[in-house]
Amino acid sequence: MPRGRRRTELLMLAFAVGVVLFAYANVGFGLNGKLPAGLVEYGLAFVVIILAAHLAVRRFAPWADPLLLPLAALMNGLGIVMIYRLQQSGRSGNPGNQISTITASATATQVLYSAIGVAAFVAILVFVREIRVLQRYTYTLGAVGLILLAIPALLPASMSEVPGTGAKIQIAIGGFSFQPEQFAELALAVFFAGYLVAKRDVLSLAGRRFLGIDLPRARDLGPVLIAWGVSLLLLVFESDIGTSALFFGLFVAMLYIATQRTSWLLIGILLFVFGAYVSSKLFSHVGERFTVWLHPWAGDNPTHSSYQLVQGLEGMGFGGILGTGLGHGQPFWTPLVQSDFIITAFGEELGLTGLMALLLIFGLIVQRGLRAAIAVRDPFAKLLAGGLAFALALQIFIIVGGVTQLIPLTGITTPFLSQGGSSLIAVWALIALLMRVSDTARRPAPQPIQDEGMTQVVRAG
Amino acid sequence: MNRALYRLSLACLAMFVLLLINVNYVQAFQSGSLAGRPGNARAFAQQFQFQRGSIIASGGGQNTTIAESLPVKGTNMYRRHYPDGPTYAQITGYDSVYGSTGIENAYDKYLAGTAPSLAVHNLISLLTGKPKQGATVYLTVSPRAQQAAYQGLRSDGGHQAGVVALDPSTGAILAMASYPSFNPNLLTTFNGAQLNKIDHKLLTDPSQPLLNRAINETYPPGSSFKVVTGSAAFSTGKVASTTTPVFAPQPLLLPNGHTLSNDAGEFCGNGRPPIIQAFWMSCNTAFGNLGMKLGARTLQDYASKFGWNDPNLTVPMPVSPSVTPLPPGQPPDPSLTAYMAIGQYSDGATPLQEAMDAAAIANGGKLMRPYLLNYVQAPDLSTIASTRSSVLSQAVSPQVAGQMTNMMIAVTQNTGGTAYATAGPPAVGNLVIAGKTGTAENTINGAGLDDAVFTCFAPASNPKIAVGVIVKGGGFGAAAAAPIAVKIIEAYLGIHQ
Repeated sequence: MPRGRRRTELLMLAFAVGVVLFAYANVGFGLNGKLPAGLVEYGLAFVVIILAAHLAVRRFAPWADPLLLPLAALMNGLGIVMIYRLQQSGRSGNPGNQISTITASATATQVLYSAIGVAAFVAILVFVREIRVLQRYTYTLGAVGLILLAIPALLPASMSEVPGTGAKIQIAIGGFSFQPEQFAELALAVFFAGYLVAKRDVLSLAGRRFLGIDLPRARDLGPVLIAWGVSLLLLVFESDIGTSALFFGLFVAMLYIATQRTSWLLIGILLFVFGAYVSSKLFSHVGERFTVWLHPWAGDNPTHSSYQLVQGLEGMGFGGILGTGLGHGQPFWTPLVQSDFIITAFGEELGLTGLMALLLIFGLIVQRGLRAAIAVRDPFAKLLAGGLAFALALQIFIIVGGVTQLIPLTGITTPFLSQGGSSLIAVWALIALLMRVSDTARRPAPQPIQDEGMTQVVRAG
Repeated sequence: MNRALYRLSLACLAMFVLLLINVNYVQAFQSGSLAGRPGNARAFAQQFQFQRGSIIASGGGQNTTIAESLPVKGTNMYRRHYPDGPTYAQITGYDSVYGSTGIENAYDKYLAGTAPSLAVHNLISLLTGKPKQGATVYLTVSPRAQQAAYQGLRSDGGHQAGVVALDPSTGAILAMASYPSFNPNLLTTFNGAQLNKIDHKLLTDPSQPLLNRAINETYPPGSSFKVVTGSAAFSTGKVASTTTPVFAPQPLLLPNGHTLSNDAGEFCGNGRPPIIQAFWMSCNTAFGNLGMKLGARTLQDYASKFGWNDPNLTVPMPVSPSVTPLPPGQPPDPSLTAYMAIGQYSDGATPLQEAMDAAAIANGGKLMRPYLLNYVQAPDLSTIASTRSSVLSQAVSPQVAGQMTNMMIAVTQNTGGTAYATAGPPAVGNLVIAGKTGTAENTINGAGLDDAVFTCFAPASNPKIAVGVIVKGGGFGAAAAAPIAVKIIEAYLGIHQ
């Protein structure tokens, strides 16, 4: 009989919590030479949150992949640790400059968001007992996704612009802000999955062959062009290049999974390259990303438009192979380091060694997601899990590649690590969906009711 | 659909492999070049996160800390502090966030602990968990002499001036001061904007407080150059002894039709005085005529033996060369050579050169290489570097040095000597100072007054200290420069008047 492996999960969770608590204590020793404040409170809160997630999995998804939750918990915890470390820069006698964009309550807020994230995780496990249920809401969720995306573009800049970045991606009311795109991504992934499952035969069969590749019919291009248009609109009206690339990548990948036709990939990539090229010529903020990427050290660049990138790179270089140790680096030089550039703070203080470990953990999460997609039979679940896992990988590639000068830098959050509630809650929801799919995939077939020993089963020819 | 998922998995794998390769490139291979990028805030801030070594003035059996790093409250940074800033500013220089000067710059590798000789020590500190610490630099500067030097310059009517005192037997620099000076403590702020403001103010100040006049500014040496001319005359045998009469008319008719006069048109004895009298009276005509007899090339050769015309001298800060350019013509114009012989024409000397002239005579003609570094002490108290004094050149023979010493003694001891009143018995009693005054016409100093120069050593019988002073626009060398030298000598020798 296959096993749920929940005990393995608990053991690994204990290990993950241990690593996180040790890292948190390490920050205190690094900064002040003594145990940090909040170790007991935050530690206890974190243990309770993680334990709640584990119990929910035991109850509602007993067959789910045992690795996903510990990996997610570890990343979430390390993110809290780094935000605490950055929050303490220049505060209460600690060395370094105070980071003006991070408040003294950032850690508490991040722990609270973790709790909300895990609550969303539990809610999804509770209410989405079968992933197929979501298929019923294909078009509803598609509409919700588009509306969520469109709201910031329609709001005045004062309510939608992230201060200092020029990106109109949030809904800010009072002191509270919310980035709807993180949730739009999930809703649209469900929509794409439902839509493609319904249309995949048409999309993959009709068409003609040209130069050895199967070209789709012109009228079937509609959905691709719509997705492309949406991502371009994001780019133009919300100045959010990273999310735009992410949406388009997600859609093309799901289209490819659904149809297995390379032509879709080629069309998608060509459209993306064309769109990126044209917008880099048309819109200065896009063109500047390319200049910063190609010539970060040229002229007065290091002190102006590429300042953030250069600081991040210099921080990673400063950390070198083994890193400075938590609390010993100077991540505070990098503007907004707690957000898009948090990975450079890890690179600086944990070194190349620690950064590679983090990337491998991310890689493992993606791999477990893809594995669930491959194992599950239901095509809708397959598409959804495959798309979400790929989107996660793409998001990590876009942001980590961006801050390490591998590709042009586009502002996008680092899953689990970056400060901010929307991103954290959305990624916990994503993990819940992947675990739901893996639970379906790994659940053994229902046991026959009769005792097989008593009845002779004659197999029909 | 699984085939597509497998391919997509490969794409994900490729993305992660690319990220891993790239972070390896940035953190393992690019790390060094990133650290060396100009304006790297982290590499920069790091140098203020450990205790830089102190600089200690340790000459004359006295130890005084003149630069130290003190922890800044509420941070893990150390800030440089100069306890008696303006007095030692030209020696210590400063260590600001934008760069360093003086000893801070010249011995940075010891102070910052990056010298190869400190590598083992640093490794042990790292392994035993002790904080990294720079080495302590001990200088030859005597706190007593330095205080007297700076106070002497400061109380001299606010003229721009420089002074150097040397130990003639070793070349150790006992004092090196310049006026006006600056307060290096103002430049150690971590506030970039404030630093820029202070820096701009110092750089645009017309009195040039950052300029180290002791070694980096040359002035006409005037009659003090007669030490060189006299040495050349004895060494070449043009003048046999200190009592040999020399031609000293008033005025001296020059080949170009002009005339050279003594100061205030004074007669030089009977017109054929012994050279020692021409020297103590500082007769221009006698030495101008001697210069013409010696020739410009010979004068330049002997000047060079005293350390002039050397562009490579360092103490370890680079020293501006003191110069004796040849007059134009082939052979060089004799009329201008006459001016050259009395320290006019285009001669230019640093206060250090004036001290070296006297030091060479004081040390039996042997000129020692001037230096500031006494020794360097690692944090574990072991000595990792020290200066061994060395001979720069044999300027003159011991016999000539003896003759020159007698002439220089006469300047202060003979009642007719130019420095009798200010450096002779009326001023210093029994102490015998051997010296030579200089009052140089310097039309470009803008003061309307001559530059005052004094070069000397003491005690004459057993020289312990040689001093060179130049006061720009100070007037008579005997009146403006000699008293400063006297104060330094008395302070260093521990004589209280």
